[in-house]
Amino acid sequence: MDVTKIRRDFPALSDPGLVYFDTACQSLRPQSVLDAMDAYYREYPACSGRSMHHLAARVTQKVDDARTITAKFLNASKKEEVIFTRNTTEGINLVANALSFKPGDVILITDKEHNSNLIPWQKLCRQKGTLLKIVPTQTNGTFDLDAYAKLLNPNVKLVSFGHTSNLDGVTIPAAEIIKLAHKNGSHVLLDAAQSAPHRQLNVKSLDVDFLAFSGHKLLGPSGTGVLYGKYALLDAMEPFLVGGDTVASSTYESAEFLPPPEKFEAGLQDYAGIIGLAAALQYLQKVGFDAIQKQELEVTRVLTAGLQGIPGLHIIGPADLALRGGITTFYIDGIDSHRIALMLDQMRGITVRSGQHCVHSWFHSRGIAGSVRASAYFYNTVDEAQLVIDHLLKIRKVL
Amino acid sequence: MFCIVAFVVLSILGIFSAANRRLAKEALDCVFRRITFRPCNTGFDEKMKAKILGKLIMRSERLASFINKRFELLAWIFFVIGMAALVMSVRGVVLWYTTGSCNGVNSEAFCVFDPTGANNEVSSVETGCSVTPVTINDLTLDGVDVAAFPTLNAGNPGTPIIFIGCYSCDYSRATYPIIRKLVDHYNTPLIYLEYPVKLHSDYLNKVGYCAYKQEPFKYFWMFNDALFAAEKSQIEDQAFVEKTLKDLGFDMSALQACIADPTTAAVVEGQLEQIRDTGFYGTPTIFIGDEVFVGPKPYRVYAIALKGFFYWLAQ
Repeated sequence: MDVTKIRRDFPALSDPGLVYFDTACQSLRPQSVLDAMDAYYREYPACSGRSMHHLAARVTQKVDDARTITAKFLNASKKEEVIFTRNTTEGINLVANALSFKPGDVILITDKEHNSNLIPWQKLCRQKGTLLKIVPTQTNGTFDLDAYAKLLNPNVKLVSFGHTSNLDGVTIPAAEIIKLAHKNGSHVLLDAAQSAPHRQLNVKSLDVDFLAFSGHKLLGPSGTGVLYGKYALLDAMEPFLVGGDTVASSTYESAEFLPPPEKFEAGLQDYAGIIGLAAALQYLQKVGFDAIQKQELEVTRVLTAGLQGIPGLHIIGPADLALRGGITTFYIDGIDSHRIALMLDQMRGITVRSGQHCVHSWFHSRGIAGSVRASAYFYNTVDEAQLVIDHLLKIRKVL
Repeated sequence: MFCIVAFVVLSILGIFSAANRRLAKEALDCVFRRITFRPCNTGFDEKMKAKILGKLIMRSERLASFINKRFELLAWIFFVIGMAALVMSVRGVVLWYTTGSCNGVNSEAFCVFDPTGANNEVSSVETGCSVTPVTINDLTLDGVDVAAFPTLNAGNPGTPIIFIGCYSCDYSRATYPIIRKLVDHYNTPLIYLEYPVKLHSDYLNKVGYCAYKQEPFKYFWMFNDALFAAEKSQIEDQAFVEKTLKDLGFDMSALQACIADPTTAAVVEGQLEQIRDTGFYGTPTIFIGDEVFVGPKPYRVYAIALKGFFYWLAQ
């Protein structure tokens, strides 16, 4: 992969003052995504699936194509298993609200879930009397299969895990987890917000029941996301948000809901976003995940090696950088993480995330105030990683 | 402490920039929390510190390190300096308002509100006037028989205004209408002491003395007003002066006799000597109560000296 050539595809990277290491929050967008969205607004800014005119027909076709592209991206059995959402959070909320739960049902999550995979379940517990149980991770941040297996019992209705942690970049052994869950009669939802941008997903071979990811972390537009669900499960589920475009017909007393995915896509959708998302997925497929992972690993290797030489710096997660993907999270004794992030930005336009990364529960339980997260993607270079190190060394020297 | 300093600085910068206004608002919230003994939870101080250090570190690591270690102390120093500057600024504004100069009455030092120093210009006395320039503190009316000089509104209550001026001097000419307006408004007594700083108008002293002697009330002051209203070249023209007097109805033959009288010359010389004894060093010099103003001041300055800070409330 020619990174220099790749970088030319991203308009934001034309700014030499920007060193972007915040992809885990939001990725940059290639020109092809911007063009796809722009074309919608300029050439056929109409409704999909409603009007009959030629513009609407074009939008309908484009949205349908986007669904097909997404289904192929996930290797889903059929495109109807793809529901467009606003983001991963909405996908998880959809499952929490639409899947049937009864009092006493157990939902399993890990101890380092993003708030989006924690709060919906807490709410469900309050509303429906379900129980939320936490699978502790090992001290090095990797998944503890034994602990998980011990928590599985017939009451476990759903296992909802973050596929790749936004905290430390660790990816869980999803195939084994799903196998055990199914053996137990439990469904599995994977929060793939941090894995979809970095690795090839195959919902069929994983046999996962639900999988949610966001567009904005994988080169797509903000406000776009996908929930994959096995068709049979989706078909049996009640809709979450209801209204226009979810029904075939209605009377004053009742409504006849459309089959999935329509019954889960209420109201007018973000067509430009959906079309842009499809363009992003195509771009990723073109680059290829092997090349993406190789570049990320290279950048992370330089970052990790440099960080290890900084006194008082602690990397969160396993020492084996291959286990951390493109995410490198650290904190320095005695220095506020926000200060480090702000200084990096001031000094050289190095953009990193600071704080608790929406995993407050993990930080609170360990008494760590916050951390800095440098998240690399295939458009980052080792030179940029070295810049981060050089500037962190200066900060360490001064503070 | 940093929040307070930042609030003051950002408030000033906020006049020009919306971004700074937003930061000033954050700083204010931080200040409010601090003065109510709560921690600043907006992260404002941390954010600003990081921004400052981030900029500095690229220029000098030593300087950044120095500032980082002494950040709170430096904030205190800036706070004290800021407070001192604020006090000085307020003082400057008050002084400018009450005396016409940021630096105090008659100061010729630079004042941002009067950058040209127009409020403190004077027509300096010349060596030929036999006056030794002194300072403001040496000015006194002791030894001056003010009752012997032309007086308007004599006998009226109120603090008299004693005006040492010069018909042909620019700054006296600029000030006279202001003083007349003040006198007309408050009906306060005005005593005019003519001192011919420009020697070619010295003959007017005898003219003025005789005119006042002949018509001490309305017509002398009409003559006085006419001289200040006329062109400078006309003042030096005796024919113009005589015509003015004639037009005002003065008895010209009696006036000529008075001017020619040796006694008049002696009286006038005595009056000039008294004026010189005041120690004045330029015109206009105006005494109002205990205060002395040298140079042309705005109306409000004289009004405040006469009626107090809230002069507009006085009748």
